[in-house]
Amino acid sequence: MGDVEARPTLGDVEAILAALAHEGYIADREIATAIYLSIELHKPLLVEGAAGVGKTEIAKVMARALGTDLIRLQCYEGLDVHTALYEWNYQKQMLRIRLEEGSGRSPEEKEQTIFSEPFLLRRPLLQAITHPRAPVLLIDEVDRVDEEFEAFLLEVLSDWQITIPEIGTIRAQHVPYVVLTSNRTRELSDALRRRCLYLWIDYPTFEKELAIVLRKVPGVSRRLAEQIAAFLHAARALDLQKVPGVAETLDWSAALIRLHRDHLDREAVERTLGCLFKHHEDQRVAKGPWLDRALAVIAEAQRDGQALEASLDRLERLAKG
Amino acid sequence: MRPEFGSLTEHVVEFGRRLRAAGVLCGPAEVADALRALQAVDVVDREAFRLALRSTLPHRREDLRVFDALFEPYWMGRATRQQPQDARDAPSQAQAEPLAGAPSVQRWAQGAEDGEQEVPGYSPLEILGRKDFSTFREDELDAIARLVVAIARRIATRWSRRRRRARRSHALDMRRTLRLHLRWGGAFPELAFQRRRVRKHRIVLLCDVSGSMDVYSRFLIQFVYALQGAVGRVESFVFSTSLTRVTRELRTPSLRGALDRLSRSVPNWSGGTKIGASLRQFLDHYGGLLDRRTVVLIVSDGWDTGEVDVLRRAMHEIRARAARVIWLNPLLGSPGYQPLTRGMQAALPYVDVFASAHNADSLRELEHALGKRLRAG
Repeated sequence: MGDVEARPTLGDVEAILAALAHEGYIADREIATAIYLSIELHKPLLVEGAAGVGKTEIAKVMARALGTDLIRLQCYEGLDVHTALYEWNYQKQMLRIRLEEGSGRSPEEKEQTIFSEPFLLRRPLLQAITHPRAPVLLIDEVDRVDEEFEAFLLEVLSDWQITIPEIGTIRAQHVPYVVLTSNRTRELSDALRRRCLYLWIDYPTFEKELAIVLRKVPGVSRRLAEQIAAFLHAARALDLQKVPGVAETLDWSAALIRLHRDHLDREAVERTLGCLFKHHEDQRVAKGPWLDRALAVIAEAQRDGQALEASLDRLERLAKG
Repeated sequence: MRPEFGSLTEHVVEFGRRLRAAGVLCGPAEVADALRALQAVDVVDREAFRLALRSTLPHRREDLRVFDALFEPYWMGRATRQQPQDARDAPSQAQAEPLAGAPSVQRWAQGAEDGEQEVPGYSPLEILGRKDFSTFREDELDAIARLVVAIARRIATRWSRRRRRARRSHALDMRRTLRLHLRWGGAFPELAFQRRRVRKHRIVLLCDVSGSMDVYSRFLIQFVYALQGAVGRVESFVFSTSLTRVTRELRTPSLRGALDRLSRSVPNWSGGTKIGASLRQFLDHYGGLLDRRTVVLIVSDGWDTGEVDVLRRAMHEIRARAARVIWLNPLLGSPGYQPLTRGMQAALPYVDVFASAHNADSLRELEHALGKRLRAG
C-alpha cells in the first residue's frame, strides 16, 4: 500500500460540500459524505444511477478539489488488458531492432532491451499505479466490461500491483482514489460491490435542479429556471423509454435561452423537444394532451405568486395520467 | 472497545445483522467500515451519522431501500446521547485493536453463519395446483435431449475478443512476431498468428407454463433441464401469472429430482397467463442478468390475458438490452396456426428468431436455422 499519511484530505463533509460548490457541482450531503468517506477510509466509491445524473462529474470534481490528476478508464464491451493496462510499443521496438543490427549483441540482450520500460505504453490502470502522486482513477461504466475483466479489476483494486511478464511486478507508489460508475446495464459482482463504498444518485429534486440550472445556465431568469425544474419534475413521471437526466436539462435550458424564451409554452417546448426526449415514442408522449395542462398549472402557480413546489404533486399526477 | 450491551459499537453490529437478515449484502467487513466511518464524521449530528452508515453498509440500490426502511425504527429507540461518548472512546482503542478482530464483530460473523437466512423471494401463496410429474418417461425424451444440447451449444457460442495462438492466417500476433524476429535479425522469416477464442453466451430462459401451454409443459421442462445441463450459464424462469426463478431447482443431476423440486416450488402452475406482467417482473428483479452477451429464449404460445402494451414495452426493453431474442412457439407447428394472438403480434417486432418447438422435428429445424443465423451474427 502507498503512503496513507501523505494523502491530502479535505477536512470534513462541509469542506467537501464547499469544494464541490466551488467547482460548480451542486451536491447534497449524501454525495459529499460518500466522497469524504471514500477519501478518509481509502476505499473505492461505486456510483450508480441513471444516465445523465452526474456520476462521472463526481470524479472530475474530486480530482480538481484534491488538486490531483484525473485518469480515466472508459469501459466498453470487449475492453482488454492491452487497452486498460499496458501494451508494447511495437514501432519503437522494431526501430530499435533495426538500429542494433550488426551491433553484435546477442538476441537475449536485445530482447531484454526492447521489452523494458521505455518501450512500454502505459494505459490508464498502469498510469494510475505509477503516478507520482495519488491521482483520481475514474473507471467509467464498469458494468460494460465482461465478468473476466471485472475479476481482473477487482484484483488490481485489492493489491494495487501489476505484473508484466517481461519486467516484473510494479507496485503502486501512491494508492489512487478510485471512482467507479455504473449504469446498471449488468449486475456487478458482489465481490466488487463489497470492495467499494456505495452511492446511488437519483434524479435531482426540484430544489436541486433549480439550483443547478441557475448555477450552470448563463442568462436564465429565476422564473424560467423554476418553470424548467418543475417541468422536468413532471416529465420524469411520464411513461418514457429514456428519462431525461441533468445533462438534458442543461441542454434544453441553453436551447430555450438561445431561442430567447423567457417562459415555457407549447410552441417553445415542441421546438426544443429533441433536447429532452431522445426517442420518437417519448416525443409523442411528451407532446400529448398532458402538456397543455401541465404548462397551465405552472403558469397559474407563478401568476398567483405561489411557490412552484406546492404544485409539484399535481404536475406529477398529470404526467402519470 | 467495551463489549457491554448498549454501546454504539454493539448497536451498529446488531444493525448490520438486521440488514443482513433482511437480505442486504452486508457482513463484518461492512460493519468494520461503518465503525471507521463513524470515527471520521461528527456522530452527534444525526444526519451525518445516518449518511455514514448509509455509505458503508449497503452496496446496492435495493439495499438502500431496506436500509432506509430499517434505519428509523432501529435507531429511534436508541439514545443518541450516549453515542458521542462511545464514539470518542472507540478511535483511540480501535487503532490498537483491529476492528474486524473485535469480539462483537466476531460474534456477529458467527451468528451470521448459524442464523443464515434465505431472503424470501416469492411467497408460495399462489400455489393453486401442484402438478404431478411422475408420468414422465425419461427414455422417450432422450433423442430430444440430445438435440437440445446441440441447440444450446449453437445459441451459447460466439466469438471472443480475446485471442489465442493459431497456426495460420487470422490476425498477426505482434508480440510473438517480434520475438521471432529478434532471433533472426533483419527480415520477418516467420509471422506469429493469433485467432479469436470462442466464447460463451449466457442464456436467459423464460418458459411459459400456463394453462394454455399445458400439453407442452412436460416437454418444455425437459427442454429447460437439458439446456441448463448443456450450457453452464443458463438462468431459467417459468411464468404464468407471475414469474419464478427455477435455476436452482433444475440444478440437480436427475430430471426426476428436478421435477420434484419444481412442483414443490413453483406456484400457480398451469394458471392463466400474464406474459407482459411476467416479463416486466423479470426486468424489474433480474434485469441485471441482461447484457449484450445474453440470449433471451422465450418459450410461449403468446396467449396473453394481460395488457398488450405492457408486453410490448417489456419486449422492447428486453430487445434493447440483450444480444438476441429467440421466441419458441409450440403452436407454430399446428397446421393453420398464424401468430395472430394479440400478445404474439405485439411481441414479434422484437424477436430475432421466431420458431416452432412442438416436437423433435421442429427442434431439428431450429438447430439448422440457428447454425446459419448465429454464425452470420
